[in-house]
Amino acid sequence: MTDLLATSPDTWRDRTLDPPVVPPELAPPTDASWGERWHAFRQRHDLRRQRAEDVYSASRNPDRGWPVAGNKEVLAFFKDLFRTRRRAFAALVVLNALAAGAGLVVPRLLGELVNTTVEGTGRPLGQLALVIVGVVLAQAGFTFVAQRTSTLFGQDLLSTAREFIVRTILRLPLGAVESASTGDLVTRVTRDVGTMSRSVQYGVPMAIISLLTVVMSIGAMLLNSVVLAVPALLTFATSTWAVRTYLRRAPKAYITEGSTYSRINTTLTETVEGARTVESLGLSGKRVRAGDDDIDVSAQAERYTMSLRNILFAALNFAFQTPRVITLLVGAYAYSRGWADLGQITAAVLYVEALADPLDRLISEIDRLQVGAASTSRLLGIAEVRPDRTAGDRLPDGIDLVGEDLRFAYREGHDVLHGVDLRLAPGERLAIVGPSGSGKSTLGRLLSGINRPRTGSASVGGVELVDLPLEVLRTEVALVTQEHHVFIGSVRDNIVLAREGSTDDDVRAALSAVGSLLWVERLPQGLDTMIGSGRFALTPAQAQQVALARLIIADPHTLVLDEATSLIDPRTARTLEGSMNNLLEGRTVVAIAHRLHTAHDADRIAVVIDGRIVELGSHDELIRLDGQYAALWRAWTS
Amino acid sequence: MLRAAAVAAPRVDLDMQDFPPRIATFFTGTDVAPTPDPDTRSPAAFLRWMLRQQWQVIALSTLSCLLWLLPLTFGPYIFGRAVDDGILAGSTSALLGWAGVMLAVVLVGGVFGVVFHTLVVRSWLISLYGTTQMVTRKVAQMGHVLPRRSPTGEVLSVSASDSDEFGALTEILARSIAQLVSYLTVAAIVLTMSLQLGVVVLVAAPVLVVAAMPLLRPLHRRQQVERSRNSELTSLATDIVAGLRILRGIGGEDTFGRNYATQSQHARKAGVSSGIWQAAVEAVGVLFSGIFLVTLVWLGTRQVQAGELTVGQLVSFLGYGLFMVGPIRTFFELAQKTTRALVSARKAIAIFEQRPPWRDPADPQPLDGSREIVDDLSGFTAHPELLTVVVSAVPEQSSALADRLGRYLPPDTDPVGEDDGDGLKGRAARRARADRERRRARIAARDEEAATREWGVRLGGVDLSAARLVDVRRQVLVSDTSSSLFAGTLQDAIDPHGTLTREQAEHALRVANAEDVYDALPEGWQGQLDERGRGLSGGQRQRVVLARALAADAPVLVLVEPTSAVDAHTEARIAERVSELRGGRTTVVCTVSPLWLHHADRVVLLRDGQVVAEGDHADLLAHDAAYRNVVVRAMDEEVPS
Repeated sequence: MTDLLATSPDTWRDRTLDPPVVPPELAPPTDASWGERWHAFRQRHDLRRQRAEDVYSASRNPDRGWPVAGNKEVLAFFKDLFRTRRRAFAALVVLNALAAGAGLVVPRLLGELVNTTVEGTGRPLGQLALVIVGVVLAQAGFTFVAQRTSTLFGQDLLSTAREFIVRTILRLPLGAVESASTGDLVTRVTRDVGTMSRSVQYGVPMAIISLLTVVMSIGAMLLNSVVLAVPALLTFATSTWAVRTYLRRAPKAYITEGSTYSRINTTLTETVEGARTVESLGLSGKRVRAGDDDIDVSAQAERYTMSLRNILFAALNFAFQTPRVITLLVGAYAYSRGWADLGQITAAVLYVEALADPLDRLISEIDRLQVGAASTSRLLGIAEVRPDRTAGDRLPDGIDLVGEDLRFAYREGHDVLHGVDLRLAPGERLAIVGPSGSGKSTLGRLLSGINRPRTGSASVGGVELVDLPLEVLRTEVALVTQEHHVFIGSVRDNIVLAREGSTDDDVRAALSAVGSLLWVERLPQGLDTMIGSGRFALTPAQAQQVALARLIIADPHTLVLDEATSLIDPRTARTLEGSMNNLLEGRTVVAIAHRLHTAHDADRIAVVIDGRIVELGSHDELIRLDGQYAALWRAWTS
Repeated sequence: MLRAAAVAAPRVDLDMQDFPPRIATFFTGTDVAPTPDPDTRSPAAFLRWMLRQQWQVIALSTLSCLLWLLPLTFGPYIFGRAVDDGILAGSTSALLGWAGVMLAVVLVGGVFGVVFHTLVVRSWLISLYGTTQMVTRKVAQMGHVLPRRSPTGEVLSVSASDSDEFGALTEILARSIAQLVSYLTVAAIVLTMSLQLGVVVLVAAPVLVVAAMPLLRPLHRRQQVERSRNSELTSLATDIVAGLRILRGIGGEDTFGRNYATQSQHARKAGVSSGIWQAAVEAVGVLFSGIFLVTLVWLGTRQVQAGELTVGQLVSFLGYGLFMVGPIRTFFELAQKTTRALVSARKAIAIFEQRPPWRDPADPQPLDGSREIVDDLSGFTAHPELLTVVVSAVPEQSSALADRLGRYLPPDTDPVGEDDGDGLKGRAARRARADRERRRARIAARDEEAATREWGVRLGGVDLSAARLVDVRRQVLVSDTSSSLFAGTLQDAIDPHGTLTREQAEHALRVANAEDVYDALPEGWQGQLDERGRGLSGGQRQRVVLARALAADAPVLVLVEPTSAVDAHTEARIAERVSELRGGRTTVVCTVSPLWLHHADRVVLLRDGQVVAEGDHADLLAHDAAYRNVVVRAMDEEVPS
């Protein structure tokens, strides 16, 4: 056997030489002139930007876990969602335009009012006041209808998107689900769905509304007075560069910032949940330092976003506030020349003030949309996992399970099975034993049709297991894992999994086979009682019985029990013995044995070492053979 | 010397606090000079303490907020004067003068907007990071005692969400004070221009805010429904992902996909219903402020016609009309956020006020790990240089023994949270709170009692309570089934202190038969383990934990079920190698696996927590019926059929 630690000298590292989590270049200089300080700040800002870019590109191209979709897919996804809602979208645009339009008429009317008062040139005061009241009423009405449409649109978009994601998750290939960590998926369905929700539900409609308001305000300003509008608009335009830079950098910065906070939380969660481990190994100081390090890193991300905002604010303050002065001066000049009257000046000032708000909002909504797009790309990445099988139309003829010349590799060039042949007799109990890493669990996965062998075949009744439609496969072979997960749902929902059309009588029969009918019928609503996290709590034994009842309903002729992860918890084993016996009765059982007594009781035992079956036979035969198994058995029983 | 000098000449620290703050409270295990503990006498006292810690930052941010508000406070007035004195009077110099003033005000406002933002971020993060640091240090200080008293989720939420409320308080406080000053200034301006209009403006602003209140309550109720529907939806999605292996392996995609879709539609309806109320609130806001504006203008134009008001002043009033709503909203926000900060402060106090039950003895005795360790309660003795296996029909009894040997308080309490999930109000809430406080105090008193009296376990004749706790931890290492891994490299996992040579680490990995974990990581020692070792199989995790415990090389090592998730082949190998490695030092293993018993130098049988038999595995198996029962039954139980 090769030494697995052969590369150890190359990968071991002297950690005293590790650089600090925050490079010293990110500390501001203590004794420096203003010029030097400014220069140092620019350098820090650039360095922080680099760090944000790194975090962002790592989040787009994760080296582990589920894939992440590209921008093109995200765009196509939303385009599709919009295409199917053309009407609602058109209503959203029209109604919001009406509301914004009504709002823009008011300053004009106020200006006219000033004219009437000062110069007596406008409509009479009473009439004007009534018109304004009318416009305000219309604006309120339009606002209500427009917002209502936005809500309906946003909520519809959101529910469609999230249901699509969950449907995608529920279609993930069996092989991928079995081998990948679900932690990443959990993050995606919680945090990423949350971020996407906020941007779809508020971001999309608000961005549209703000954009409409901005465009129409500019139109209204030009209509009011071109002379007064142009200088103000030109000043607004000075912020374009700053806004574009900000929008290009901010999403990456916020994604980085968010990741530093989840890092802080993860570290603290580990420290709290492992409080005893920390104490027993004397790691308290290390954990405190790890927490402080996380905060130092997070503070750098915060400083970066803060600087980005500060630069934007500086530009916006200049671009939005100076037009007040400019409008005043230009207005005075135009007034003296007779190009503009007092009403127009008043209206222009009101417009200038009214424009800042939707522009501000537009920028922050675009920001939000970009952060949402990053989350959406992680969600859509789930959809990019290619299916690992296409079901054929052949159905098995017979129930004999045969593996021939099975080879399999998780990493290319690293076969963990080297040509295993195994033929199961219907109704027999076969135990597979072997050291960890020998490939016995892999063998179990090939025999239950979870992975496709690299070469050779694993078939039932003459049909490759991985070519069977999943719903057929499940009724042929089942891999029994430790996960006695109780789903949030009714007792019935929790049991009918494999045959979703099962009747209540089937469910009752399954429950009674595992000895749980009594307690289920005593539940407040019987089969309809909601169980699972946060609902009616089952005892561990009851949860295991539910898991067994699922298998009774599935009724496969062959069960593969991986004992290392089996659902048999020694503490409840006693009470479940009967239930388990009922389940195994009359079925072929492959037990990947962990404990030697399982092997002892089996009809045949296969000893797997280094990816090969080295011994195969009954307990007595193997003892007589006096090989690996016999040695182990002696160690166990002596 | 240096220290004495520092004390002799106390330097007034003029440096303003910055983030991340320097917090070194509660936990004294690092070499940083301690900082003061928070005031935990009451929620209000805690908030006061927190604000006092960074009063300079808050004071300065109040001042810059005031300057930032300058254009809003004086802008309309200046514009009005420019219209009157400049445009209407036709005076260019007056116009340019007022325009210059306007420009100055705008520039000052712009600059201080940036300064205010910087300071607000600073004060916010000082509170936020500071709270997280205090939580981390409290956990480090309390060790395994904290989870006995407070639920994990609550400890985490103090750091993750309550800390944000404290940050929000510092911001709203600065903003409210500045808004108050600016409100009073504007009030003075408008009242001097026109008493009637001034009064209208001052009265209308609060009326506008209060008038929207009746609409807000149903809105908040609907938002609450929406939030709870959404969180239910999230838990459904998490549930689907957690059980995905079953759903894809056994089936049920349709059922649970449908359940999710149904709940998603419920959530959509709740969202629509709260969204429509939101629309109504906004529409009413538009209506009210529009009507207010019309009233103002109506009154204003009449006064202009009567000659009581200049046109410029009318224009000023138009500008001020809606400004006043801002400060009023801010004051409401202050009230709201203060309330929320008080609630958060109560939760923070529940964590921060905990004190470790341990008292270091006045005259600490040294411990000698190479001597025998004796437990009085069970009559258990582990001799040095022997591998002792503890067998018990009830696994909890062996782990209770392990806890005692390592001086750990047993996990036998029901942690008391401070989360106001019960939605009680008034007196009932106060009573529930007092009850929770009482329950926590009871646990604390019990801990203290157990921690300060004689412990009942002696190492080389010295009771563990007579030694310092750090010495106990150094001499006796208990690795129980709850031992967890931390995110980091494999090297960090095996050698968390960075004190091992590569050869020692390799050896530990080999003894625990965990070489396959190394092999599975392409980067070897630098391969990353996920948090809590997620991504490793149960057996791999267990072997890495074991390797770490072995590498720590403690004089007395207590292992509880170290190989329960490992197959027989590997277990046999580990048992053999561990007994070899530990030769010469005290090792206690709690297990019923024959593969360990085979390598035991001594076997001890526990019944009802008492030692009832001890000796050699083969002897006991041959001659002790009770022992045979436990070991054989244990073997039976592992057989599924």
